Amino acid sequence: MRETLEYEITVNGEPTPVRARAEATLLEVLRTECGLTGSKRGCDQGVCGACTVQLDGRPVRGCLTLAANVGTRKVTTIEGLAGASALHPVQQALLDAGAIQCGFCTPGFVVTLDALLRENPRPSADAVRHGLSGNLCRCSGYVKIVEAALRAAGAQS
Amino acid sequence: MSTADPLGASIPRLEARDKVAGTARYVDDFVRPNMLHAALVQSPFAHARIRSFNVEKARALPGVRAVVTGADVPVRRVGAMLKDETMLATGKVRYVGEPVAAVAARDPETAALAARLVEVDYEPLPAVLTIDAALAPGAPILHEELASYVRTMEGGSQGNLMWSSRLVEGDVDQAWAKCDVILEATFQTQAQQHAYLETNGVLAEVEANGRITVIAACQSVHHVQTRVADELGVPMSQVRAQVPRVGGGFGGKHATNIHSIAAWLARATGKPVKLVLSRAMDMEIQKSRHPSRIRIKTGATRDGLILAREADITLDGGAYADESPNVLAFCSLMVRGPYRVPNLRVVSRAVYTNKLRAGSFRAFGNPQGTFAGESQMDELAAKLGIDPLELRLKNAAQPGDHWVGGHTLHTCALRECLGEVRKAQKAAPPLPPPAPGRKRGVGFSSTTSISGLMGTSASVHLRTDGTVALNTGCVDIGQGSDTAMTQICAAVLKIPVERIAYASQDSDLSPYNWKTAASRSTYMTGRAVQAAATVVREKIMEHTAEMLECSAADLELREGGKVGLVGVPGKELGFKDVAMRSLFHVGGPILGYHGLVYDGEKFDPKRTLMERFAFSNLGVYTFGATCVEVEVDELTGRVQVLRAWSAHDVGKAINRAACEGQIQGAFTHGLGLALYEQMIWDDDGRLANPSLADYRVPGILDVPPQITPIILEFPEPSGPFGAKGVGEVPLPGVSPAIANAIAQAVGVRLRQLPMTPERVLDALEAKAT
Amino acid sequence: MKFALPETLADAIALLGEDGARCLAGGQSLVAMMNARLVSPSTIVSLRAIPGLDRIESRADGSLLIGAMARHADVARLTPRSPAGALFATAAGLIGHPAIRNQGTIGGSIAHADPSADYPAVVLCAGATMHIAGPAGNRAVSAAEFFRGYYETALQPGEIVTAVEVPAGPRGGAAHYEKCSLVDGDFAVVSAAVMLAVENGCCTAVQIAVGGGAPVPIRSAAAEAALIGTPLGEADIAAAARTLAEAADPIDDFRGSAAYRRKLIPRIVARAVAAAKRKLA
Repeated sequence: MRETLEYEITVNGEPTPVRARAEATLLEVLRTECGLTGSKRGCDQGVCGACTVQLDGRPVRGCLTLAANVGTRKVTTIEGLAGASALHPVQQALLDAGAIQCGFCTPGFVVTLDALLRENPRPSADAVRHGLSGNLCRCSGYVKIVEAALRAAGAQS
Repeated sequence: MSTADPLGASIPRLEARDKVAGTARYVDDFVRPNMLHAALVQSPFAHARIRSFNVEKARALPGVRAVVTGADVPVRRVGAMLKDETMLATGKVRYVGEPVAAVAARDPETAALAARLVEVDYEPLPAVLTIDAALAPGAPILHEELASYVRTMEGGSQGNLMWSSRLVEGDVDQAWAKCDVILEATFQTQAQQHAYLETNGVLAEVEANGRITVIAACQSVHHVQTRVADELGVPMSQVRAQVPRVGGGFGGKHATNIHSIAAWLARATGKPVKLVLSRAMDMEIQKSRHPSRIRIKTGATRDGLILAREADITLDGGAYADESPNVLAFCSLMVRGPYRVPNLRVVSRAVYTNKLRAGSFRAFGNPQGTFAGESQMDELAAKLGIDPLELRLKNAAQPGDHWVGGHTLHTCALRECLGEVRKAQKAAPPLPPPAPGRKRGVGFSSTTSISGLMGTSASVHLRTDGTVALNTGCVDIGQGSDTAMTQICAAVLKIPVERIAYASQDSDLSPYNWKTAASRSTYMTGRAVQAAATVVREKIMEHTAEMLECSAADLELREGGKVGLVGVPGKELGFKDVAMRSLFHVGGPILGYHGLVYDGEKFDPKRTLMERFAFSNLGVYTFGATCVEVEVDELTGRVQVLRAWSAHDVGKAINRAACEGQIQGAFTHGLGLALYEQMIWDDDGRLANPSLADYRVPGILDVPPQITPIILEFPEPSGPFGAKGVGEVPLPGVSPAIANAIAQAVGVRLRQLPMTPERVLDALEAKAT
Repeated sequence: MKFALPETLADAIALLGEDGARCLAGGQSLVAMMNARLVSPSTIVSLRAIPGLDRIESRADGSLLIGAMARHADVARLTPRSPAGALFATAAGLIGHPAIRNQGTIGGSIAHADPSADYPAVVLCAGATMHIAGPAGNRAVSAAEFFRGYYETALQPGEIVTAVEVPAGPRGGAAHYEKCSLVDGDFAVVSAAVMLAVENGCCTAVQIAVGGGAPVPIRSAAAEAALIGTPLGEADIAAAARTLAEAADPIDDFRGSAAYRRKLIPRIVARAVAAAKRKLA
C-alpha cells in the first residue's frame, strides 16, 4: 500500500503543507499539490533542465529531488522570481532579446540564470554557456539566450 | 502604446511575458475536477498477432475506471495518403512499443499499474528491421491487407513496399554522354526524433450532450478534430479541438492516436481524461525522421555546368505510412538542389519495416536529399578543380528561371546568399590557432524549401471600441506565428499591435487552416490575414466616405487607428466612430474574411513527369546558403562547429528577431542530425535509447557560440508584404556543409549521418592505410 | 514506499538492513531510476540529516577526507593544496551539469559504480581508501579492491560509504583529468586521470587510471613503473598508454564500440599525461 506523508516545505517564502506519497518528486508536488505549474516536466531524468528550481538558492532538478527530502531548505520556483511590479532582470532581458520561442525551457533557464548571476554578477559569455550547460532548448540554438544573459548582467550592475 | 511600424519590428512574442513568468499554460498544466489519468499498454514484440486480451485484473484494480483494447474499437483506419493505422493496434502489432490498449484511472500510478496488469496473448512473427530485409523475397509482410486499404491516390503499394514514385525531367540517359565528369555515391542518414521539450499530451472531456472537447498540444486543431472524429466514428460536429501553448512541434505534434484514445476514454467514463506521454513513450510511439539511403549521380561538363542528376531514394517508413508518401515526394523534388538541372531522374520508394513510423519532421525529406546532393557538389568541385562555391554559383537557380516542374522563380537570391556567407566568413576575425592534433576546415552548402501549400483563412473584426479581433486557424507551436499574424494585421490597419486581440485556435471558432507545417504560416496565413485586414480597411473607408461625405479614394488610414481626408489633417475619424456607426446605424459589424488555397503555378506535365506524387501543388521557394567552420580532433574524431553563417532570402522578415531565432533554431536541429542524434534499435526492434540521457540533443556547449543569421529581403510578389517562410530551409544545408568542412580539414569524405567521432576516426584510419 | 530521515549513522544502517531499503544520497541516479520504474524501493533512507557526512577536509599535508555526502559542486569548489585536490576538483566540475553537481554526491557516485562515470577513475588514480560502515561495523577498502564489476562494488548488503580518504599524491606534482565524451556533460566514452611529478627532467612519480575502458576503472603498475625515470617523452608515454590499453576490456554500447574505445584509450592517456606534464613546466 502506498504510504502518504504529511510535511511542510517552504516554497517561494511560503510555508506550504504537503500531502504526498513518499516517492513523489519535488516537481510533482509543486505542480499538483502547490498548483505551481511553471516548472515543467521534460524528461524525468534530470537531463533537460525544464524542471529546474532552487534549493537554498542553488539550481537543482525538481524531477530528481524527493519532496520528502527537501526538509527546511528553501524552495524557489519560477513563480517566486518576478518582482511585485516588474519582471526579474533575466526575464526582461530574455523578452527583449527575442530569446523566447516555445517557452517550455524558459522557466528552467530563468531559475538557472538567476542563481548564476547572483554567484557571478559579471560573467563572460563562456561562463554563461558553462552555467547553462544543463538547460536544453530545442527551439532557439541558444544564441539569443546568451545575449539576453549578458544583457541582464549588464543591467544588474 | 507604440506607434512604430510593426513590420519587421523585433517585438517580443505576444505571449512572451507569460512564458518568461511561468504562467503560460501547456496541456499538462490543465486540471479538471475528477480528472482521470490514462496509461498505455505497449507491445513487447516488433511483429506479432494479437490473439486475445485479458483485462480482468486491470479492471478490478481499485481506482481504474475504464480499459479499452484494440479489440473494442471498430476498425477505422487513418493515414495521410494511405489509411493503414488504427487508434490502437488491431489484430497485430507492428513495432515494439505500439499501443495495444489503454486504461483510465484516478491517478497516474494506478493507471500505470493497471496497464501492467493487462494481459495480452501474442503470437510472435518474424520481423523485418531493415529496408533490405523488408524488400527481400519471402520477407514477412507487415500489412497483409494492404491492397484493401483506402488511399487518396495510387502509390504502387505492395508487399512491404509502402509507396513508390518517379520524377523525370529531360533525358538523363542522353545527358550522361555529354558529361565530362560523372560522380556517383551512396549516402545514408539516420532516424532523428523531434525531442520537443514538451512531450505530446492531451486532455479530453465530454459535455453533458456527449460532445467531446479535446485540448491537445498540436499543430492543427482542425487535423485533431478530423482524426478524433474519424477514429471515434462520430461526426466532426461532435468533436471540438482546442490548443493551449505548445512546447515545440517540429512536425511531431500533428494529430496522433493519443488524442483519440483520450477522447475514447473520456466518453467511456464520462470524466475528463488526461494523457501526457512520458519522454520514453513519446520517443517510442510518436514518429521519427525517415532514415534514408540515397544513391546520387551527377554529371557536369569540364567547366562545371551540371547537365544531369539522377537519384535513387529509399526511405525507411517504419510500421505505418503516416506522411511517408509526402516526405518521399518532397525529398524527390528537392534532391536536385537549388540548381538549374536540365536533366533529372528520381526514382524513390518508402518501405515498411517493423519499427516506429517515420513521418513529418522539420524539413520533411529535404535534409536527406540535401546531404547527398550538397556533399556530391563538393566532390564534383574537387574532381573538376573548381572552387565549390564557384560551382554552386555557376549552376544556381536564378530569378525568372522555370525551375521545379516549370515553376517560375519570381524571387531567387541564392547567389546573393552564397555571396553573403562567403563574405561573412572571410571577414570574420581569425580564430586563435587550434590545439595540437586538431585541424580546421570551412564548408558550404546551398538549400531551398517551399512555403506555399494547402489552404488557410483568417477573419478580422473591428470592435466598437476600435480594437480588433484577429482570428485564424494557425497554431503557434513556438515559432511566433501569433505575433507575426498580429504584426501583419497591425501593419495593414496602421494600428499598434496592442490593439489587436489574437484568438487562440479552436475548431469551433477558428477559420480553417491546414496545419502549422511546411514553413507555410507566414506566407499562407499571413496572406489571408493581410487580405482579411484589407477588407476591413476598405469597409472602414466606405463608411468613412459616407460619414465625411467624400469619396473613399480621397481617404487615408493614419497611425493609431484613424482615417482621414488626404491633405486635411484635422478631418479624420477614429476607428471607434466608424465601428459604432457601422454596428448601430448602418451596415452591421465590420468584418473581413479571406480564405485561400495555394494558388501558385501548377507543375507542368509537359516538362515534368511525376508519377505517384503526393503533392499536386506547392511552391514559393526560399533559398539559402550555409557556411560552417569546423575543427576536427584527429585523435578522437570529435567534430566541433566553431562558427556558422546562415543566409536566406525570406522576402520580408515580419519580425526580425523571430526570423533570426528560426534560422538559429533550424541550424541547431541540422547540427543534431549531422553530428549527435540517432535513434538506435536493437536486434529485437526495441528502441534502445528512448531517453534524453541517451538520445543527445545538442546542448549549449555543443552548439557554436556564434550562429550568424543573414536575412536578405527580396520581396516575393505574392507574399504578405513580400514575405516567404524560413522555418525549415536553414536545416538541410547543415550536415553537408559540415561534411564538406571535414573533408577540407582532414581529407575524408563521410557519407553517413550522424558523423560520430567513431565514424570520423574510422575514415581517418581508412585514409591512412 | 516509506521515507526515513535518520539522524545517526547507526540508525541509517539499521534501516538499510530492511528488505528493499535503498539509501538516498544526492538522488541523481536513484530518483532517475525510480522515475523510469527501474527500481521500486520499499524504504528510502535519506542520509541528508546525518551530521558530518558532507564534510570536506582539505588538510595541510595535501591529503583530503571527503564525506560521502559531499556534493560535486562543493568538491569542484575546493582550493587544491595538492595534486589529488586538483584532480578531484577538476573531475567533480566535469560531472554532468551544474544542477546535477549541486545535488550529486561522491558517495552516491562511487557506490553506483557506473564505469562511464568520472569519480571511479579519479578515486583509483589517487589510490584512495573508501571508509565503509555497516551492520558488522566499520571497515576500509582500497579503491583497487572497491570496484568489482559493472555497477558492482565491494559494498555488502546494508553497508554504505561514509567517506573517501585521499592521499595527497606526488609532492610538487601536477594532475589532469581528460574526459572524452560525445556531447558536453555526457558520460565519458573514455577518460584518463593522471597525477605525476618530475624532477630534473625525469618522472619521479606517476599514477594513471582509465575510466570507460572496462567494467571497472583500470590502473597498471607496470605502465607506471615503466615511466619512472623517463623524461615522459612521446615514446615513453605511448608505451605506457599501450600497456594500459592492453589491460582494458572496453564496454561496447552506442556511445562507442569496444573497438573505438580501444583506439581512444592510448590517445586519451597520452593526452592526459602530456597535459599534466605541461602544468609542471
